[in-house]
Amino acid sequence: MSKRLGLVFDQERCIGCEACTVACKNENEGSGYWIQVETQNVSQKDTPAGKFPNLEMKFLPRLCNHCSNPPCVEVCPNDALMKRDDGPVVLHEDLCDGCQACNNACPYNIIIYNEEKNISEKCNLCVHRIDHGLEPFCVICCEGQAIHFGDLNDPSSDVSKMIAKRDKFQLKPELKTDPSVYYCHPKPRRRL
Amino acid sequence: MTEENDIKLVRTACPAHCGVDSCGILAHVKGDRIVKLEPGEFPFKIDNRICLRGLSSLDITYHPDRLKYPMKRVGERGEGKFERISWDEAFDIIADNLKKIADKYGWRSIGWVLGGPGGGTTKFGAYLRLASLTQSTRVSAWGYGDAGLPCGSRVIFGHQFPHMYLFGQLWMRQFPELLVVWGSNPGESMPVHIMRKVMDAKEEGSQLIVIDPRFTITASKADEYIGLKPATDSALALGLINVIFKNGLHDVNFIQEHTNGTHLVRTDNGKFLKGEDVGESQGKAYIIWDEKTNSHNRVRRSNVKSASITGTYQVNGIECKPAFQLLIDLAMDYSPEKTSEITGVEADLIRKLGERIGKAKSVMFHTFMGLTRTYHGDISMRSLATVASITGNVNTSIKAGPGVRTPTPLNWDPFLHAIKEKPSYHRLGILNLYEAVISGDPFPVKALWFAFINFLNQCVDTNKLINEFYPKLEFIVQTELFMTPSARYADLLLPVCSFLEFSDYISGPYPYLQLQKKVIEPLYESKSDVDIVVGLAERLGFSEYFKGGEEGMIDMIMDHPSLKGVSRDLLEKGAYLLPEVPEGATFPLNFPTPSKKIELYAEQLLEDGQALPVYLPPLEAPITSKKGKYPLTFIQGHSRFRTHSSFANVSSLLKLNPEPLVEINPIDANKRNISDNDMVTVFNDRGRTTLKARLSESVGPGVVNISEGWWIEQFKEGSVNHLTHAVINPVQKKVYEPNMHMNDVAVEVIKSEEMGK
Repeated sequence: MSKRLGLVFDQERCIGCEACTVACKNENEGSGYWIQVETQNVSQKDTPAGKFPNLEMKFLPRLCNHCSNPPCVEVCPNDALMKRDDGPVVLHEDLCDGCQACNNACPYNIIIYNEEKNISEKCNLCVHRIDHGLEPFCVICCEGQAIHFGDLNDPSSDVSKMIAKRDKFQLKPELKTDPSVYYCHPKPRRRL
Repeated sequence: MTEENDIKLVRTACPAHCGVDSCGILAHVKGDRIVKLEPGEFPFKIDNRICLRGLSSLDITYHPDRLKYPMKRVGERGEGKFERISWDEAFDIIADNLKKIADKYGWRSIGWVLGGPGGGTTKFGAYLRLASLTQSTRVSAWGYGDAGLPCGSRVIFGHQFPHMYLFGQLWMRQFPELLVVWGSNPGESMPVHIMRKVMDAKEEGSQLIVIDPRFTITASKADEYIGLKPATDSALALGLINVIFKNGLHDVNFIQEHTNGTHLVRTDNGKFLKGEDVGESQGKAYIIWDEKTNSHNRVRRSNVKSASITGTYQVNGIECKPAFQLLIDLAMDYSPEKTSEITGVEADLIRKLGERIGKAKSVMFHTFMGLTRTYHGDISMRSLATVASITGNVNTSIKAGPGVRTPTPLNWDPFLHAIKEKPSYHRLGILNLYEAVISGDPFPVKALWFAFINFLNQCVDTNKLINEFYPKLEFIVQTELFMTPSARYADLLLPVCSFLEFSDYISGPYPYLQLQKKVIEPLYESKSDVDIVVGLAERLGFSEYFKGGEEGMIDMIMDHPSLKGVSRDLLEKGAYLLPEVPEGATFPLNFPTPSKKIELYAEQLLEDGQALPVYLPPLEAPITSKKGKYPLTFIQGHSRFRTHSSFANVSSLLKLNPEPLVEINPIDANKRNISDNDMVTVFNDRGRTTLKARLSESVGPGVVNISEGWWIEQFKEGSVNHLTHAVINPVQKKVYEPNMHMNDVAVEVIKSEEMGK
């Protein structure tokens, strides 16, 4: 079976610090943020949901889902977007003419349009690093050690073990895009 | 240093002042420019890390606003008008002025105000050495928010820090059954060194309790969040002691063996019963009631196990109680219901928490400076430590075991005391400095040198500083990277290097030692603080004491028996892992208090009415009293986007967090007709600040929060410290040095458009 490289984000350990956001921008020099941290269930960043003191605050880092069935690849007229056999959905900037079909097709609204260069941009799973045996830059810069990288098709990988064991989810599963980015829910609170 | 294509890799360490996280940093250098920073390797991969500030450090090094050359003031102080001069001129002007002022008022009228060196050591040490040589005045920065914790810790444990007694094992990855994080938000202020381990503890099975007036990022990870009213921590602690004692969950053996809870206190005057009161030969000995013999005796190792900790006794006609009984008498006034009224925490939750702390096999209490930034913050520290002590959750020794490594003291002697035969420097707390400058008490201070401190921005009562403090100073020097609000008040402004442009010794993070290695040559005409001190020492005739410059200072501070075999050269290769404590070894943790035990009862504070960790209402925080002129309690949390005021001007971080916000509970906002994003004015009699409102449940009704560290010019008007006060707590002054009480401030908030109507 071929590899299915992907990421698992552990909400139990994500402290919403946005080091991943900054790390990705430093590494990939994107014009916008390829990974964005949302505070869930509220309208303003870093505010809790509920009424004081019965509150909850959860962070959801959002980035390209490296879908198994990526709508962006389907619609790209220039073959600038490609689903690699080992999992990453890669956008080749030199083939992109900035038509933004992919931006509109992405159900996760996470493809960035770079006005200056007239191209689309997104997370490429740091293929320039992982092809040399390194982890994606966001993974090694994560303050909470909440981001895990590995082969989701290999049952012995840490990422596979995590999603086997933990209460997990993918974003918009109903669309059958089958993301290679998983999230683990925070563990249930053990109240006093 | 390794080469990879045309990229040179240099391992260094970030010394930022974030609880001394001291992340290892690997810098990628192309030509003479650093192009990338990433986590540097540690011997244990689990410790590799960087944070979003560390990742943004190149934006400081290559910031277009860097101060590029020495400058002298040409406009009014505060105006920010300066003129370029050479380093030679700068050193001449400084030496002339310091000599003139020293001739007129004495060297002690010259103060060195050294802020947070973070992980840095020699940049701090070099100034101390020069202060020592000139017998001028070192202004301690503990009092700018960090003196309350030492004050409390000194009283109960006899030691500057409570860390090793309460939560040292966290660093060694020894996790408790119950982890109580009290008044601290490591999730933002110490995200990698502490917060990671807090989450590791949780993964290993610890139950996490977070006690904080603000629902912080740390609180969001808690199994149970206890949202108390600000400055009511001591009341909560007494409520917990009440529950623990009523349920018989206190640790009698521990109290007998390690605390002064057994020592008899005279009920007539509150003083300890001493040998001399009962005709003992050892007049100064403490006396206990021995249950075995049913008589009094002086305290000995052999009789503590039968020493009574409760009850009332007559000794030679003097009525006495064991100190623990007095603590319980006090705690009996704090039923869960009464404690609930004061703290705002549900009585049932107080009961459950008390029982859980009492029953858990091991409890670790983690706290830091934020807890103690209220007028009685030193008592908050003591009361937390009292809960830990009566339940036996204080470490009394360090035992060899996995992850336990020997700590390494630094050789501070040559810095604290440069010439053994001569007196060293004078010392002033930073809050005492206000009076020294303004009214000459206890002695006049006429010239100040500020290094790694954004004094005006970060210290309390901005208007007092501008109107009463600065005008009294005859000469001000500041070393800085940027034209900060404080830099504008300098007479002479000296450009310093960012951490990537000089070397220093970093004695952390546990269990490592690191070299902060110079990655590139200083940019523009900047110099490191050490090099600046060396230049000044030359003018003052002390150059022989600063031979070898930066590297000489590093070798000097590393010259300690515990660092045998560890050299600067060795650290160049990477982080050094401290050796493990030899198997079977145990190091006792002593309590250098008057009784040589944990002091549940501190006779030294009897006259102040604080022999016990009493709950005293805050100075200003109006939340526990009737509504006054300023009905809201103003507190200042820390932001992950800054280390105090550092990084506030970094554009990459400003994109994620563009402006100051005042967090206000929707209930208070609605009463004032304030909506999210409205411009509002926060004010009291001392000053005001205008900024955007953020409606948030992260603070309870009656509380508003503005994160500290934003620069004055980033507010539409004023700043956080236009609201704070410089009131000195005399007990803290007596015990150690007075703290600034940034979290004990009363304010009102209104929509800006209504201000002045």
